[in-house]
Amino acid sequence: MFPGATNNGLAKNTSYKVVLPFYLYAGLAFLIATILLIFSTPAFLQHYFHPHTFAITHIMALGWGTMMILGASHQLVPVLIEGKLYSNFLAYLSFGFAAIGIPLLAIGFYQFDFGWPTQLGAILINGAIIFYLINIGASMIKSKNENVHAVFVFTGTLWLMITIIVGLFLVYNFTYNILSKDSLSYLPLHAHLGIVGWFLMVVIGVGSRLIPMFLISKYSNDKLLWWIYSLINIALICFIIIFLFFKTISLYFIPLIAIAAALIMFGYYCFKCYSERIRKKVDYQVKISLLSVCMMALPLIFLFIVIILLMFSVSNIHLVLSYGFCIFFGWITAIIFGMTFKTLPFIVWNKVYHQKAGLGKTPNPKELFNDKIFLIMGVAYLLGFILFVTGVLISNEPIIKTASILLLISAVLYNGNVWKAVTHKLSKS
Amino acid sequence: MNEITNDKRKCELALGALKFVMDPEIGLNVVDLGLIYQVDFDEDEKLVFCTHSLTTQFCPMGESINDGVTNALQQTFPDYKIETRITFDPPWNSKKISEEGREFLNG
Repeated sequence: MFPGATNNGLAKNTSYKVVLPFYLYAGLAFLIATILLIFSTPAFLQHYFHPHTFAITHIMALGWGTMMILGASHQLVPVLIEGKLYSNFLAYLSFGFAAIGIPLLAIGFYQFDFGWPTQLGAILINGAIIFYLINIGASMIKSKNENVHAVFVFTGTLWLMITIIVGLFLVYNFTYNILSKDSLSYLPLHAHLGIVGWFLMVVIGVGSRLIPMFLISKYSNDKLLWWIYSLINIALICFIIIFLFFKTISLYFIPLIAIAAALIMFGYYCFKCYSERIRKKVDYQVKISLLSVCMMALPLIFLFIVIILLMFSVSNIHLVLSYGFCIFFGWITAIIFGMTFKTLPFIVWNKVYHQKAGLGKTPNPKELFNDKIFLIMGVAYLLGFILFVTGVLISNEPIIKTASILLLISAVLYNGNVWKAVTHKLSKS
Repeated sequence: MNEITNDKRKCELALGALKFVMDPEIGLNVVDLGLIYQVDFDEDEKLVFCTHSLTTQFCPMGESINDGVTNALQQTFPDYKIETRITFDPPWNSKKISEEGREFLNG
C-alpha cells in the first residue's frame, strides 16, 4: 500500500556532545558581554571606535551569535540537507579553535593591544571557520540533496569566511600597515559582511525552516525564499562595489532598499506561517523569535537616518552605536533566546529519553527548562534593550547603567535555564 | 479507524499502545496526530509491520518517534518481531489529525 516506505526520511541526529559545548560557550560569552557592558557604560557615550565597544561587539558577534549558530547548525544542517553531518571531529576542531581564539581577540581589543596574542586569536578563528566550512560543504556534497535553506547556510558561511579574512587583515593592519588605509576605514565593510552576509543570511535560512516547523504551519514558499536570497546577495555585492569604488553616499540606498525588500518578504513569510499554523497556542519561545523578526526593522531605520545625515556630512555617533546595539543585543539576541529553548530541550530530551520513547510517560522537552524564568528573562531583556537604546540616543549614563543591569539579569537567567536543561537527568520514578 | 490493517482486533491493540508514543514537540500522540498509516501482522513470520509518517520530512525528532513506535509495539507484542517503515507518500497533513487531536491543538 505504501511502496515508497523506507526509513530514508529519518534525520540522523548529530551527537549532543558536538552541539552542547557551543551552546554553553555562547551563554557564557553573553554573560561576560553583559558584565562588560556594566563596567563600560562611559564607552557608549563616546565614538564607537573605542576598545571596550570593540571588545563587547566581538564577544557578542563571535562568542554569542556565531558560537550559537555554529552549535545549532551542526544539529540543524543534517535536517536541512536531509543527510548527516560529515565529521564530528571537524566540529570539535572548529569549537576548540574558536573557543581559544575568541577570548584572545576580545582581550586584545579590550586592551587595544594588537600583538601576537590578538593575531593568534584572529588566526584561530579563521581556522575554526575553515573547519566549519569544510564540514558543512562536505555534508552537502555527500547528501546531494540541497534545498534553499541549506544554500542560505552555506552561502552565509562563505560570507563569514570573507568577513573573518577581512578581520584578520584589519588586525594585522593595526601593527604592520598592510592596507592602503587605516583599519577604521574598513570597519563598515567588515561589519556589514558579517551582519548581513553571515547573521542575516543564516538566521533567515534556518528561521524559514524552523518557524513553520515549530508552528506546525501548512505554509511553504521556496520561490519567495529564493527571492530573499537573491536580494541579500545582490545587496552585499552592490555594497562592496560602492564601498570600494565610489564615494557617493546616496548610492548606499541601493543595498539598503534591497535588504529592506528582503526583510519585508521574510516578514511576510513569517506572517503567512503564523496565520496558517495548525497549532493555535504559540509558546513564549516562538513569540520572542517572531518578535526578533520585527526587531530586524529597527537597525534598518537607524541606518536609513545615518545615511541621510551622512549625505549632509553630519555624523551622529549615538545613532551608529544604537544601530550596532540593535543588531547584536537586538534581533540576534532575541532569536537566540527563542531558538535556544526550542532546540536545546530537544537535544537533551533525545539524549536522556531516546531509549525510553514509547515505553511509558516521559516529560515533554519544554519541561526541561523553567518557563517562568524564561518569561522573566524575556521581560528583563526587553526592558534592558529599550532602556539601553534610549540611554545611548539621549547620552544618559544612569539609564545605560540600569539597562546593563537588566541585560545582565537576563543573561544570568538565560544561563541558569540552559544549565537546568543541560544537567537534566532521567527521573528514577 | 483510518489505519490500514489485515487484523482489525490486533491493530486496535497496537493503536492503544501507540497512543503512548508522543511527538515531543507537539505533545500529542502519534495516533491522534494521524501519523500511523498501516499496521499489518504476519502470523507465520510472527511479524508486526508498521508504516508511519512524520509531520515534516527529516523531523529532528523522527528517530525518537520511530524508536517509540518500535518500543511500544514490542512491549505489546513481545513474541513478534517489529518492523517499522517511514513514508511521506502520501505526506502527512493536518486533515489526518483526529477530532481529539484537533481539540488538543486548539486548546
